Amino acid sequence: MARWNVVVDRSSGEPVYAQIARQVRARIAGGDLKPGAPLPSVRTLATDLGVNLNTVARAYRQLEDGGFVAIAGRSGVRVAPPASAAAAKRNDLRERLRDALAHLRQAGLAPKELERIASKEIAALARDEEGR
Amino acid sequence: MERTILNMYLLVEVATIGGFMLLYPRIARKGLLFGVYVGAERSQSEEARAITRAWYRGGIATIALALAVGWLLGSRPGFPVGTFASTLLLLASFSVLYLRAYRRAQRLAPPPGPPLAVAAIDAVPEPNLALPWAVLLASAVAGVCVIVYTVNRFDAMPDPVPTHFGISGQPDGWSKKSVGAVMVLPIMTLVMGVTLSGVALLTAKAKRGLRLDGGASLVAQNRYRSAMSRYLAILGLLVTTMLASLSVTSVQVALGQRRTLPGAIMLVGLAIFLFAMLGAAWLAIRYGQGGSRLENPQGDAPLTDGLADNRLWKLGVFYVNPEDPSWLVEHRFGFGYTLNFGNPRAVATFAAFLAALLGLAAWAIVSST
Repeated sequence: MARWNVVVDRSSGEPVYAQIARQVRARIAGGDLKPGAPLPSVRTLATDLGVNLNTVARAYRQLEDGGFVAIAGRSGVRVAPPASAAAAKRNDLRERLRDALAHLRQAGLAPKELERIASKEIAALARDEEGR
Repeated sequence: MERTILNMYLLVEVATIGGFMLLYPRIARKGLLFGVYVGAERSQSEEARAITRAWYRGGIATIALALAVGWLLGSRPGFPVGTFASTLLLLASFSVLYLRAYRRAQRLAPPPGPPLAVAAIDAVPEPNLALPWAVLLASAVAGVCVIVYTVNRFDAMPDPVPTHFGISGQPDGWSKKSVGAVMVLPIMTLVMGVTLSGVALLTAKAKRGLRLDGGASLVAQNRYRSAMSRYLAILGLLVTTMLASLSVTSVQVALGQRRTLPGAIMLVGLAIFLFAMLGAAWLAIRYGQGGSRLENPQGDAPLTDGLADNRLWKLGVFYVNPEDPSWLVEHRFGFGYTLNFGNPRAVATFAAFLAALLGLAAWAIVSST
């Protein structure tokens, strides 16, 4: 039986599109949604959530930019195959992570401290996955 | 004979409309109380029970009054004045009863604020649209064929033309031959068939009224939505069949090719009446409003989004949400689905169909007088 996979809370400060994107990303990262799995159309999701079509489209675009989903006209939205997130994408993301770490080092944080921050973020990601 | 049939019709109609309104609290979604979302706990409180008891008392009095009025006013040939008056009385009285119950229920509503909205991402069940599409296509083709058939025979038809038929199928009312008198029925065939099957199609894609329950309401909603869509599609098919045969055979009667309408049309009419009444009763008993009877084990879970947001419902019955792209949403008080009055495209489309139906009815009345 389906679980509730997206819960939108309009009273939280987080924009609705970001809430949708974050929760779908967590389901994909947690392995609940396998590559190639179909996702609801923009209209179905917007209708069920009672939010603007553009809000859902923006969430899906953000997920597409991140390589998490593939949007293909008539066949709808699907979880992207690992290939699209791999190679170039992965290198690009590593580059961005290295940049962020360099900024933190420049701000005076010791390597041990950086490790602690990274572990904390990874643990938070895991909690997010379990929550959904 | 005609008087007896009309009285029986009155009895069945008052029992069906009145009975449905009276017993509505039995099929309503848990958590909703006369158009107000109060939550499962408060909907079972003593105050909520008192509101429902007042509804039952008022409803029984209304039904008794409607029957008495219908019986006393009786009927005139061609216009069942008693049935008409009792229907109006039923609708007006139940509206007053509803507004009283709605105002009392508002006091039980939780403080206003945006409720959570939920949707499923995996196991996405898409509705099956084959039947409503097939009926839409069939009724459009049948409607156009009937219009072409009638236009081709217009010049050969006599003046006056028969426009009213008795229960035996014999013509008993004639009108001066005009485009209106001849063409209203064929055009009505097209408009009615397309409207009903179009609504069936939209119903299959209507917004769901989900609960935070882990998916039971999604399953229940999907089953209810499909059943409702099938019901409307079959109704559309039956109505198109009846109106199309009525159009064609009344042209044949006018041309002297047959003396009476075939008895089978009366049978289809009866079938429509029975299907509409019994089908609605079956849907109500089997599924409850929105499939709520299927989700009873999880019925205490909070409702979400559209159904739970009291700020989006005017008088508890009109949903106005410009953010929501839905055309049809589940009724809070009523059976089936209602329009999202905040969606301009949905409102414009329905207004156009309503205007077409009312225009045709007015045209028919003007042409036959």
